[in-house]
Parts: sequence; C-alpha cells; structure tokens
Amino acid sequence: MNTKLAVALAGGLLAAALPMLAHHSFAAEFDDAKKVMLQGPVAKIEWQNPHIWLYLDAKDEGGKVVRWQCEGGPPNSLTRNGWTKDALKEGDIITIDGRRAKDGTNTCNARSVKLPDGRTVFAGSADDGGSKPRAAQ
Amino acid sequence: MSKNFIQWVAMGALVGAMALAAYGQGQGAATRAQPKTPAGPAPKTPEGKPDFSGLWERPYVPDMTAYGRNQTPDESLPDDPKLSGRGPNAKHNKLLPFTAKGKAMWDSYDAASNGDYTGSCMPFGAVRSVNSPDPLQIMQNAKYVGFLWEQNTWFHIARFGEHTKVPTPLWFGDTTARWDGDTMVLDSTNFNGRIRLDTNGHPTSDKLHVIERYSRPDMGHINYEITIDDPEYYTRPWKNTRVFTLRPDWEIMEYSCEENNKDFFEGHIKRTQNPNAPAVSK
Repeated sequence: MNTKLAVALAGGLLAAALPMLAHHSFAAEFDDAKKVMLQGPVAKIEWQNPHIWLYLDAKDEGGKVVRWQCEGGPPNSLTRNGWTKDALKEGDIITIDGRRAKDGTNTCNARSVKLPDGRTVFAGSADDGGSKPRAAQ
Repeated sequence: MSKNFIQWVAMGALVGAMALAAYGQGQGAATRAQPKTPAGPAPKTPEGKPDFSGLWERPYVPDMTAYGRNQTPDESLPDDPKLSGRGPNAKHNKLLPFTAKGKAMWDSYDAASNGDYTGSCMPFGAVRSVNSPDPLQIMQNAKYVGFLWEQNTWFHIARFGEHTKVPTPLWFGDTTARWDGDTMVLDSTNFNGRIRLDTNGHPTSDKLHVIERYSRPDMGHINYEITIDDPEYYTRPWKNTRVFTLRPDWEIMEYSCEENNKDFFEGHIKRTQNPNAPAVSK
C-alpha cells in the first residue's frame, strides 16, 4: 500500500470532513502529505454546497494569529446524519486535523473537527456526538 | 505526471469513497440506526412491469475499474498489476481496453494542472451522475422514466419507444427505454464528447454509446449494470455493475454546486477550457 495512503488511513480516515470527491478529486486540490493541525476559535461557518467551510483563527509557529479556511463535507449528507450548522458557534474552540491546499494558501481539507472535550463535530451521527464509524458492509 | 498522479488520485478517491461509504451510511450508528432496507417483492406498474420509482442510495464510484462496496468492475478485463484496493485480500483494479487515442487521453488527464469540467459545476453527464454519491430519485410511468439526480440538482428523461432525436449533442445523451423481460434497458447516444466517466477521469468521445440495465430483485434493491461502448477510445465495450438500495427514510434535497464553489472561484482548482483536450506536453 502506498505510504501516503497508510498515513491518511491512520490519521482519521473516516472523519466527516473528507471530501465528497464527485465534483473534484481530492488530489487536484489538496496534498495529503501537507498535514496541518489547527486550533483556534471558529470565526465563521458557511453551510452551503458543495462543501461547508469553517473559518478559524489559529496561531502559526511564530505565535501570530492567522485566518484559515477549511472545507468539510456537503451539507446535504451532514443534514442526513443529523448535523446542522448550529453544531458549532462562532467562538467555539476547535481543533482541525487537515490537509493543506497545494497552492499553499491557508486553505485545508478538514479530516476531523474536534471540540476541546474530544467530541468530533460533523462526523458520525449528531445523536452520539460522533462515535466509532460503522464497519463497511 | 500521469501514472503516479492517476494512481494517487485513485487512492485519494478511494480514501474519500471509503469515508463516504461510512459517512453516507450514518457513521457511528450507535444511537442513529440505519433503517432496515424494506423487504418484500418488487412493486409493479399497472402494466405489470417492475416499478423502479423511489429514492435510491447508490455507491459512489470514483473509479469504474475498481472494486468497492456495492460496485464491481468488468471481471473479463485483465488485472492492473499496479493498482488495487486496500487490505491483504484486496482485488486488483482492471485495465481498460484503450485504443491508442484513448490511452493518450487517459495518460494526459491531469485535473490538478488542467482542471476537470465538474470542478466548475458543468453538467456531470449521465455516467458521472450515476457514479455520484448523492441520492437518485426515479419516477416512472408507461411513457417516461425520470431520473432526478440530487448531485447538482440535475434531471434526465428516458422515453419508452423510439422518438425524434434532438440535433444537439448532449451532456446526458438521448435515451430510449425498452423492456427485456423484467429488465429495463436504457440505450443512450448523442453525447457531446465532453464528459469524463468518473472522478478518475476515464475519457469519452462523442461516439459514446451507453447501455444500462435496471432490474429490481426485491423491494429494497436495484441491480444495475452499465456498459460503456466508445470505439474512439476503447477497443471493445466494457461493464460495471452496482447495487442500489431503497431509502424510504430520505427525501431528495436541493443541491446547488454553484452556490459556494470556493474551491473553484478562489482558484484552488483549475478552470478547464476543454475537458477533452489532451494536456500540453510538459
């Protein structure tokens, strides 16, 4: 197996915000090797197709606060899994495990979105706060 | 570029597809159980034919040469020794029977550098819509079968019996429906040559001829087979089969690809001028 894929699998593969790849491929935009771990308050949520977007202000290595934008899943699927945009509020502190855009902008594909207590958001089912994924049938 | 990139796209697509499979099924179902698929015999129309009406969950098929959940490539094709699914018992992808032109179109596909038509929300076309992850609502009567694709809120109509073809080449093709026993056969031609079959970018020309076979073995399932026949790019027809699952707990939703396509309008993915133009040599 390709090493990069193994890393991707280890890094929370089944998290909600992996892209719907139908309208563009992941690799056309993002680099799976460019991992970013972002923590900061939610600045804005865009709950629209084809992807939700989360904006947060995270500190870079120098301690400077920079604005990041990270795409998540499509709102239709999230809705079917019981999520709404109210799962997060502006100011909520979140941690995004993401993959950076190839163009080097502060844009990422969010592999997982977590609250400080460890609960995942926009993953799994809203009822259970995102528990272990089901085994594929 | 192409082989490594395509393999990586395939892996990336597989990664996303696997996540999607769990995600779309209601990942973490401890407290939100997926409803049981309805059982019982398939419903019939007043004319006594299988009725395919309903909202159908379908497997996302980013690569029509790969095995996956509820999807099977053409097993008469040779294995691709370089590409397979994950896990120790994973099966190899299949090698498509490209013509020289088809191989050139495939090898030159580079969505990262040249974009893909779907990135800018252009019509997916028939085959890519069937491959898409979002639900499909089928509405059927004796004269028409309507396919309502949630992905990008598109539709396509198949007409039973012969009809006057439109002169304009089409994204979704011109489709005639007929019955072969209890199998509904859809025969589509008059494509505009601008679609790629799947996220991985397998090419088509305006010579594309698509044959789809729908059967409904029971209330909860459709067995689906698609045959791709494009003599410009493939030396022979080849198939892919799927299983669709009825979702009476879902309703179709509006989906505007254009409403916030940040990936595209901010330039993170490229705009493509002509989806089927070979890439400029590097």
